[in-house]
Amino acid sequence: MSQPRTAVTGVASFLGARVLRRLVERDGAASVVAIDVAAPPSALEVVHRAIDLTEPASDQKVLDTLREEGVTRLVHCAFFTSPRRDSTYSHELESIGTLNLLAAAAAAGVDHVLMRSFTAVYGARGENPNFLTEDRPLQPNAGLAWVRDKLEAEQHAASFARRYPDLKVTVLRFAPLLGPDVHNFYTRLLDHRVVPTVLGYDPLVQMLHPDDALTAFELALAKAKGGAFNVVPTRPITLGTALHTAAKVPLPVPHPAAYPLVDLLWAAGLADAPGGFVDYARYLFVADGEKARRELGFTARHSSRDALISYLHYRHAAPQLWPARAPA
Amino acid sequence: MSRPKVVPFDGPRPGAPLDDDDADGLRERLEELQAEVERLRGAGEEEGGRGPGRSEGLLVALARVLHGGRRAFTWERVARLWAEIYFAWHTEDPDDFGYDPVFTRTFMPFLEFLYSVWWRVETEGIDHVPAAGQALVVANHSGVLPWDGAMINLAIRHEHPARRECRMLALDMFALMPFLAPLVAKTGGVRANQENGERLLKRGDLVAVFPEGVKGIGKPYKRRYKLARFGRGGFVRLALRAQAPIVPCAVVGAEEVHPMLLNLGWLGRPLGVPYLPVTPTFPALGPLGFVPLPSKWSIDFGDPIAVAPYGPQAADDPILVNRLAQEVRATIQNMVDARLARRRSIWFG
Repeated sequence: MSQPRTAVTGVASFLGARVLRRLVERDGAASVVAIDVAAPPSALEVVHRAIDLTEPASDQKVLDTLREEGVTRLVHCAFFTSPRRDSTYSHELESIGTLNLLAAAAAAGVDHVLMRSFTAVYGARGENPNFLTEDRPLQPNAGLAWVRDKLEAEQHAASFARRYPDLKVTVLRFAPLLGPDVHNFYTRLLDHRVVPTVLGYDPLVQMLHPDDALTAFELALAKAKGGAFNVVPTRPITLGTALHTAAKVPLPVPHPAAYPLVDLLWAAGLADAPGGFVDYARYLFVADGEKARRELGFTARHSSRDALISYLHYRHAAPQLWPARAPA
Repeated sequence: MSRPKVVPFDGPRPGAPLDDDDADGLRERLEELQAEVERLRGAGEEEGGRGPGRSEGLLVALARVLHGGRRAFTWERVARLWAEIYFAWHTEDPDDFGYDPVFTRTFMPFLEFLYSVWWRVETEGIDHVPAAGQALVVANHSGVLPWDGAMINLAIRHEHPARRECRMLALDMFALMPFLAPLVAKTGGVRANQENGERLLKRGDLVAVFPEGVKGIGKPYKRRYKLARFGRGGFVRLALRAQAPIVPCAVVGAEEVHPMLLNLGWLGRPLGVPYLPVTPTFPALGPLGFVPLPSKWSIDFGDPIAVAPYGPQAADDPILVNRLAQEVRATIQNMVDARLARRRSIWFG
């Protein structure tokens, strides 16, 4: 039997856990190796190697694991979906960890590395076209460690793909996820009754349903085409419409005040992201899914609105604009 | 025929005097029933394709606050009213570029008033606009505020037999300015760049562009109807890449709506606007200065210029692109001049 063996990193992350489960369901537990500091659910009965990718010698450990287990494919999901205060650790994990992992994969003769990335790496900018294609240069907004680490991971991936022609490196740039069980930056905002917005701006945003993300993973694994692909929902939605659908009370803040204010709240531990992220509520970073449709055969089944509504249904059993209450 | 169902009623007999307990009980029951109605109504709307977050509407929310008097003035009510104001006249499903038909429809009567009563727009050659498929309408730009774009859109929407929608490629200063940015997107405008234009044209849309840009719309009154430089020919490259015919369009009358006597650009630049006009009414009359003067307008469409013979690769030939841009500019200048020669009065045409 020449069943390809797949190693999955970041199995404790939302997407990593789902990819692992899907692979186990489809090909059996023997076909998968989990690489993470945290153990996967024991019910899955997969081989688990606890390797900390931030360790200096982790590349050798990964290499040994890949050789011993006879791994031919590697799915890399060890990324933080929300900004973290400990930016040193996230840099070590995302940038350096990816470098270690890719070095090990190249040395072990792995055929295909599939890496998770984010449409946020394009950067939200006024001069962006309405739909960003994969050949658009990645220019994340200055001063955002969260995006910069993703950019560096992508740069490592591109450089390894160039240096090792036998190693296929696929990068999937996912739009922000929203749906049942998702817990990220968007859902934390949507859990408040009052949501701050940027006064006088209402950009289009994309929200990807997790089912679509998983389908894209499977197709990309099956097709094993190198290169970057945007994985996006069928249609974007304006931020205002999303807040309206979620029955939020908007609190518009003028943009000159928003950056320092959010920075201040972030420093005080009250905000979910530093001030630079105001750009993502102000400008477009909508990506185009045409290349994934053409080359991977991936078409999302859900629009951004569907993803939002599925999240609202998951979060509130019966979503209502205003909770029922007795008149004052 | 089914008999009406008898609903048991455990309240006081009709006609008997109510005591306070009964009254409270009835009030409670009424509230329960109202909550039930709300719930059912919400469920029905959701089945009808509307989202879960459907609200009661701006007027109802406003009426509740006003009717309730001081007692109703709670944070809850204020938040509700504020959300109603903020989300008024929005569609729940904007298109890929953020075009909002509900919002546009709401403003349409106002634009129609400007079109037919205020400026009495006269169109000529509307049949030069193709009834289907991609085309690039290229027009002269003037008038400080982009009213000419709105009027071209309305002319095509109302006078063309195919009732086509026209997507405007908007200048950065409008497409990125607070408040204007969402307004432009919701009314069908798109930030002007090659990628957006190409995507719209390849979709088979009708796209309008003002190659003069800021130099055209912000020109002083004494340079009226003298077309400024046509950018760097980006619109020609766009038409060549998408293989879309160019429809020249001349707007006469828009130069007089806000005659710019003086340009305080040095004052505007720190505020993010490339020009800050002094007109006979602005800033002297304050907010009244935003009321455009009622000149008589005409919008002429010329013969489409086919670019298909050059092929899409001609977009990389700067000499050809520049020559075509000059040709289009000369065509529009001639159309403007011809219309001006026929015009007797600024106000009556």
